Amino acid sequence: MSAPSDNMPIPAPAIRSKPLVVRHLPYFIGAAILVWLAATMRFDGYVHNILLQATTFSIAVFGLSVVLGLCGQINLAQAAFFGLGAYAVGMGTTDLQLSFWLCLVGGCAISLLAGAFLGMSTLRLGGHYLAMVTISFQQIVTLVMINAIWLTRGPDGVPNIKRPELFQTSQSYLAFCVAMLAIVGYLVWHLADTKLGRAMRAVRDNELAAGVNGIDVFRTKIYAFALCALLGGLAGGLFAGGFAYVSPDQFSFAESIVFLTMSLLGGVASPIGSAIGTGLLILIPEWLRFLKSVPGLYLAIYGLFVILIIRFMPDGIWGFVADAFTRWRAKIKATPAAAALQLKPATIGGDTVLEVTGLSKHFGGLKAVDGVDIAVKRGGVHALIGPNGSGKTTTLNVLSGLYVATSGRIVLDGTDISHMPPHQRTASGLGRTFQNIRLFRSMTALENVEIGAERPGNTMVGKGDDALTERAMEALTFVGLGSRANELISSFSYGHQRLIEIARALASNPTLLLLDEPAAGLNSTEKLELHELLKRIAAQGLTILIIDHDMTLVSEAAQHITVLNFGRRIADGESMAVLRHPDVVSAYLGSE
Amino acid sequence: MDLALQLLFTGIGIGAVYALVALGFVLIFRATNVVNFAQGEFSMVAAYLMVVAVEAGLPYWAAFIVALLGMALLGVVFNLGVYYPLRHRTYLPVIIATIGASILLANSVLAIYGPQPQVLEGWFETPGIQVGPVYLDSQYLLIICVTICLVIFNFWFFEKTLLGKKLQATSQDKEMASLLGISVSTMIMITFIYSAVLGGLAGILVAPVLFVSIQMGSTIALKAFAATIIGGFGDVAGAIIGGLALGVIETFGAAYVSVPYKDGFAFLVLIAFLIFRPQGIFGERVAEKA
Amino acid sequence: MRLTRRDFAAGIAAGIAAPYLIKSAHAQGATIKIGMCAPVTGPAAESGGYAIKGAKLALEAVNKAGGILGKQGELIVEDDQTTNPGIVLAFSKLASQPDIVGFLGSIRSTQVHAMAPDVIKLGKPVMIGGTDPNLTHMGNQWLFRCRPNDSYSGRVIAEYGVTTLAKKKWAVLHSTDAFGTAGGKALTAALEKLGAPPVLDQGYANQSQDFTPVVLAIKQSGADILGSYFTFENDLGIFARQLRQLGVNIPWVGSPSIVNITALKLAGPALYNTYGVADYAEDSSEGSKAFGKIYRDAVKVAPDNQSSWTFDAINVMAQAINKAGTTEPAKIREAILAIKKFPGAEGEYNFDQNGDGLHGYNIVKNEKGNITFDKHIEFND
Repeated sequence: MSAPSDNMPIPAPAIRSKPLVVRHLPYFIGAAILVWLAATMRFDGYVHNILLQATTFSIAVFGLSVVLGLCGQINLAQAAFFGLGAYAVGMGTTDLQLSFWLCLVGGCAISLLAGAFLGMSTLRLGGHYLAMVTISFQQIVTLVMINAIWLTRGPDGVPNIKRPELFQTSQSYLAFCVAMLAIVGYLVWHLADTKLGRAMRAVRDNELAAGVNGIDVFRTKIYAFALCALLGGLAGGLFAGGFAYVSPDQFSFAESIVFLTMSLLGGVASPIGSAIGTGLLILIPEWLRFLKSVPGLYLAIYGLFVILIIRFMPDGIWGFVADAFTRWRAKIKATPAAAALQLKPATIGGDTVLEVTGLSKHFGGLKAVDGVDIAVKRGGVHALIGPNGSGKTTTLNVLSGLYVATSGRIVLDGTDISHMPPHQRTASGLGRTFQNIRLFRSMTALENVEIGAERPGNTMVGKGDDALTERAMEALTFVGLGSRANELISSFSYGHQRLIEIARALASNPTLLLLDEPAAGLNSTEKLELHELLKRIAAQGLTILIIDHDMTLVSEAAQHITVLNFGRRIADGESMAVLRHPDVVSAYLGSE
Repeated sequence: MDLALQLLFTGIGIGAVYALVALGFVLIFRATNVVNFAQGEFSMVAAYLMVVAVEAGLPYWAAFIVALLGMALLGVVFNLGVYYPLRHRTYLPVIIATIGASILLANSVLAIYGPQPQVLEGWFETPGIQVGPVYLDSQYLLIICVTICLVIFNFWFFEKTLLGKKLQATSQDKEMASLLGISVSTMIMITFIYSAVLGGLAGILVAPVLFVSIQMGSTIALKAFAATIIGGFGDVAGAIIGGLALGVIETFGAAYVSVPYKDGFAFLVLIAFLIFRPQGIFGERVAEKA
Repeated sequence: MRLTRRDFAAGIAAGIAAPYLIKSAHAQGATIKIGMCAPVTGPAAESGGYAIKGAKLALEAVNKAGGILGKQGELIVEDDQTTNPGIVLAFSKLASQPDIVGFLGSIRSTQVHAMAPDVIKLGKPVMIGGTDPNLTHMGNQWLFRCRPNDSYSGRVIAEYGVTTLAKKKWAVLHSTDAFGTAGGKALTAALEKLGAPPVLDQGYANQSQDFTPVVLAIKQSGADILGSYFTFENDLGIFARQLRQLGVNIPWVGSPSIVNITALKLAGPALYNTYGVADYAEDSSEGSKAFGKIYRDAVKVAPDNQSSWTFDAINVMAQAINKAGTTEPAKIREAILAIKKFPGAEGEYNFDQNGDGLHGYNIVKNEKGNITFDKHIEFND
């Protein structure tokens, strides 16, 4: 049975909510009031300096909220990027007599390039390596600032840095910085809900799942890192203009740690948190000046607080507040009704949707998969079974690109995907779920499914966020969870999480759906529901390749079965015939 | 030639210090998958404990034992206060908590003991010996000997003793270890104690050369951290070789390229390794499991 | 008791509120206030403590002798955290108190650079100890220096080595921070002027753990005298020991840190028979001796330049205000610039139009750990 397939984009439904600018109007009004206050209120020099420092530092910390909060990558060199921006403005406006604006843009560009380069060289390695490389970069930048006297004037620093003509007075410059803060804050705040932002959050929550849902993990990380560096540079440029003097010790490793703590204290995931954290960390040392009689005491307390915050407020002060708010809002926010989910798998190739020939995967001497051929016919359910250790899951991981095949060829719907990374295979129409569920834990069910719907090449979703949400709602409704779309993943049962994972794959309108032991851990009622769901998916013409131990489920749902044992195919054909095959019987009885 | 020999000796001496601290890093990393940014502060605290104990009138060997016992206690407190509550979280919060701990330790010592650098006498009366054209500092000789002994001890401990094997099993596969009846939390506790003592040992040994100051730990620790990556993260032999290599590269780089950029060589080598050979000298390429 | 998240949040809130309560309870009195930025925390916290003691001792004496304009002087100290942003905030906090009439800035030149824009904006006199010559030569008329600047230390080191010790093959060693770079530059310039350009000019980064390459470079250069600018005592200590271990025993004339108490303690015999330039030397003048006695009695530690310059700064400021008869900044400025032949702890003050009070250095010698005064070298240009 082949489904009718036109594979044409369907027009986006013409439901328009109020434009973003209108919905966010209160933010802009608030920001305008702040700018006006900064421009008109009388401050003494002390308050002015504190405000200027807090404003410029906040922008740098926004950068960390992108890389650390949204994307989950560490950056221990934000002070170096801050310094690059500051020195660009410092040296540009004094030694080179360039315009402030040109220097500011130049500083941003230098930081951006440095960030992108650093990211490209190490983001594949992740975690601890990134921590170390950023420290190294930080140290090298500091050393160059101190020692390259011909360029940076060395440890003396750069005095008499100019401000733009337009903002000569301290007051107007502060207002300008506050305006920049408001704009950057808005962009960073809004970033989380864009395609890139969702990709970053997905990478943070689960890199593997992000990869198989069509996200280019490496590129997403680089974007996040470069963006962070860019904001660091911008903040540094503004700082240099504000204080008119920069020197190397203002951009040391210790300052990077301060930036990091600011970000953590306020709440790493949101710009509001960043601003709160920055403000507090600039003010707290001022308030705690009474502790000054004992050197070291203040910083010791500060160190203790870092540990306590990590322990008791993992999401920072703002995260603590916002978390409560989100839980409350999720309960009251009504979920919109959704239309029935349409699955229109692409049909470019012939009758065979997946053609695997001579597939092998060796781990050293172990031949986990050895010369396996599988041909999955279009439409219906194809099962891949075998005793424990027979190579089923390895096969699936090679198919979805998490492992690189030792040899063999994989053709999906006429396209050779053998050498593609996971996200490109997904873009080519491969959807999958995992045996041990891999959802993005910090997001709602709807957001998880939206990431699936965002698959590049998904022809079933129109332009714009509304179309995306609608597609995701349809998929969630299809698996029966539409009414709970705005709840966080953690509030769902295990069985329901499995359904959300399936909905995430369905929303991307795949050509072939790989299900890795979907019945594992489900009770008998849930298994029945799963069986029904598989039937409904198959009825829409989507081909399913399923791995499972549950023989009842497999024999009832699948029309075609391939059996593996010790990495080799031992039987293949129509279900009932295969299950009665003597080799299959002996393989199962022999092992169990 | 004479010049190169002298540089080589000093390079190996300072490299041995990096290696000792790096060893502490690696042990904790293998057991808990966490990089301990407070490892350098362990060395600093131990050196101050030693100074206090010597000033209190204890004989040198007794002060040494007291300082190492103090470090064992610090290892326990560190595990319970910093690592244990966060053990189920990702690496990021733990890294940041260890950074917090390093700030706390450094400044607590500052608050208690004040900022003046202190002098700690060396083990030997004679400061060093002249062998042909090369002057051998006695304290550096001691450090090199201790490092060699520790390499042998570690080999024996991890390969030949039951406790060592249990620790190995824990660091390789926690679930499997606990199925075999090994108490994972006890093993991690032992790792923290051992690694704090190792860090402390490095601090006490190097104090007579570098003096005892609040900053002594952090400078050494950054280099030691670089050494672990150059050697191959999580590899004991790699940490030792990486530390020695770094010490030698740094010393020769300072002599023949530039003194002010000396601290930069370590980081340049590190970045080069990360780009061209991220698994380090000895490490194997790490593949993530689906 | 288990600490819950909520308890912790409440704790933070209380912690944030507390300083306000403390602050509002602070009362004000009718005194002449002098503000002081000093490193109470951070790497220079130790010397910061000495600086505050020196200033307090001076103010006590001034108050005993009748005070400033008949009122008691009061010192308001703010922590500059030994960082540049720290001193900017500390200074602006002091500057926002309108009743403070004058200030003591920092002994660190970069910190003075960092606060300089705010000093111009405020337009009140600030006494400084930073020795970068530029500070008083960049058009900022409100900075007054109570120590001789580095152009003099370089000239004195060169003068003493070339004329008194009769050595011409110099190795110059300096740290690469602001202080060391400026000093090294001044020394090199002075040597060139005396016709003895250095055979080795070597910088090093602060907190180096090893100086073997540097020592070997000095050895190879064939220098017969060493001039040095060290910032941190532990660097100086490590270098001095390695220098002697590797058999270099040429005469050594160093910047003030070479005769600093901590350096003497750390390096011990390795520094015997070295020379140092010192802006403060206890036996150099009557004023120095007098200060040394007061300081030893009160603090029980040997006096050094960290405390002597703040001691002088307070005295100079008090005398200028009393002479001017008003706290009007422009009048105080004139009075400070008019100060001539004023006997201070650091030496005799003769302010020039740039705001530099001192124009010479003392040469002292380390005689088996005791610092003895050798001679004073003064310049008139």
